[in-house]
Amino acid sequence: MLTVSHLTKTYPNGKRGLIDVGFSIAPGSVTAIIGPSGAGKTTLLRSLNRLLTPEAGEIQLGNQEMRQLPPRALRLVRRQIGMIFQDYNLIEPLSALENVLHGCLGRKSLAAGMLGLYTKEEKKQALTLLEEVGLGDYALQKAGSLSGGQKQRVGIARAMMQAPQVILCDEPIASLDPASTHTVMTLLKDLAIQHDLMVIINLHQVDLAREFADHILGVNAGRIVFDDGPAALSDEALAHIYAAPEEAAYG
Amino acid sequence: MAELTQFFNRQRWQRAATLMMLALLLVLPQWLLHVDFADALFGIGAGWQWLGKNFMPNQAALGDLGEILHQLGRTIVIAVAATSIAGVVALLLALAGAKTTSRLPLVQMGVRLFASCMRNIPFVAWALVLLFSFKQNDFTGFLALFLMTIGYLTRAFVETLEEVPRGVIEALEVTGARYWQIIGQGVLPAVSAPLMSWLLYMIENNIRDATLVGMLTGTGIGFIFDLYFKSFRYPSAGLVVLAIIAVTIAIELTSTKLRQVLAQ
Repeated sequence: MLTVSHLTKTYPNGKRGLIDVGFSIAPGSVTAIIGPSGAGKTTLLRSLNRLLTPEAGEIQLGNQEMRQLPPRALRLVRRQIGMIFQDYNLIEPLSALENVLHGCLGRKSLAAGMLGLYTKEEKKQALTLLEEVGLGDYALQKAGSLSGGQKQRVGIARAMMQAPQVILCDEPIASLDPASTHTVMTLLKDLAIQHDLMVIINLHQVDLAREFADHILGVNAGRIVFDDGPAALSDEALAHIYAAPEEAAYG
Repeated sequence: MAELTQFFNRQRWQRAATLMMLALLLVLPQWLLHVDFADALFGIGAGWQWLGKNFMPNQAALGDLGEILHQLGRTIVIAVAATSIAGVVALLLALAGAKTTSRLPLVQMGVRLFASCMRNIPFVAWALVLLFSFKQNDFTGFLALFLMTIGYLTRAFVETLEEVPRGVIEALEVTGARYWQIIGQGVLPAVSAPLMSWLLYMIENNIRDATLVGMLTGTGIGFIFDLYFKSFRYPSAGLVVLAIIAVTIAIELTSTKLRQVLAQ
């Protein structure tokens, strides 16, 4: 269970990123965050694993409060939160398998991790994950030589290698063609159910949110303006989510 | 429309100014220094003729071949060792100096300043300073190349490291990986090809420079060239030149080939 309450983030330039944001997310579900550009979708997602640190509020993962964790403890909690990116962010000269193995660096000793001394079990697990995302045959290919959709699936396998409770996805399909988009979204949905994960996805496409999400958060000008299932996402609700931001939102 | 006319007018003016500058640069030295480019062209030809006549290696020079190859070997070993060790030091400095891998702006600035200082002191100056400190031996030549190479490679490595996208490092940070794990498994594999390419290029350059450094510090192939030249043993000096040319071409071809393999 991930519970967020009263989260507030103000940027150094005075712009309000998040204003009193609160919601909770259940395991085994896909949550889509939708809203206009600049509404705070990315700020919200990046606050959840503390790539950004909000100045007020609570982020509760299980029984751990995350917003105020010091760096060392933060590193331990981060292992439970995987993340995938629009640009995949793989190490392109390395093989798909090596990229997936990076997911377990957080569990390894400093020296073993630095030198890339992975155990037989870790290698086997990475290969199994690559098979699970449909890339078993590409394990030894350089990540740079794969297609966009394949790269994103390697990214997903890397996140899964962390054995996470949560996977955060920052516009995961924004650079993909329609066929790859469908593959990646289906994969994320299946993983959420099979591994009892909380998958949280920033999306621009409302129809994809409707098709794949169990839970939709609408963000506008730093506030949550919609928090319900896809069935409740009426045209009226959509108009509200995508309404022009009020001047008041910019402090 | 007026804007468009203005744009093309400015472009025309810039072209004219560039041409004028080039013309000026060609005429000015002739006028100021009485350098005649036409004369220089023929003069160089005469120099080659003189070289060809006097520096042609003969039977006696071949007797020196053993010594020449021995000194050449030593010079190459020194150049390769100095460059490789400088490469390791430069990598550590670059990690502290690149925006992508260092969080301390003050350290970043310090490293850049240090690298710039090392680079901008010409190696002739290094060789002279070190000559007074360490006298004539191979170590002096080694140090001169080492110090200068650190400056160049730190600068090159910093720029290479800064080309790693921030997101790639972030992606490893969020797995809970620690700094040196991210460097070892993420950053270095991402940049190893360009780093090696820089190192090979520097080795290639340093073998050429080692010859000059050797003349100043009295070591290696540079020293025996100087020795033969000053004692009027021109054919032997010519053999040294030929040997250096052969080796630098061979090294350049090898390093080009290696870089091609690395780029794949």
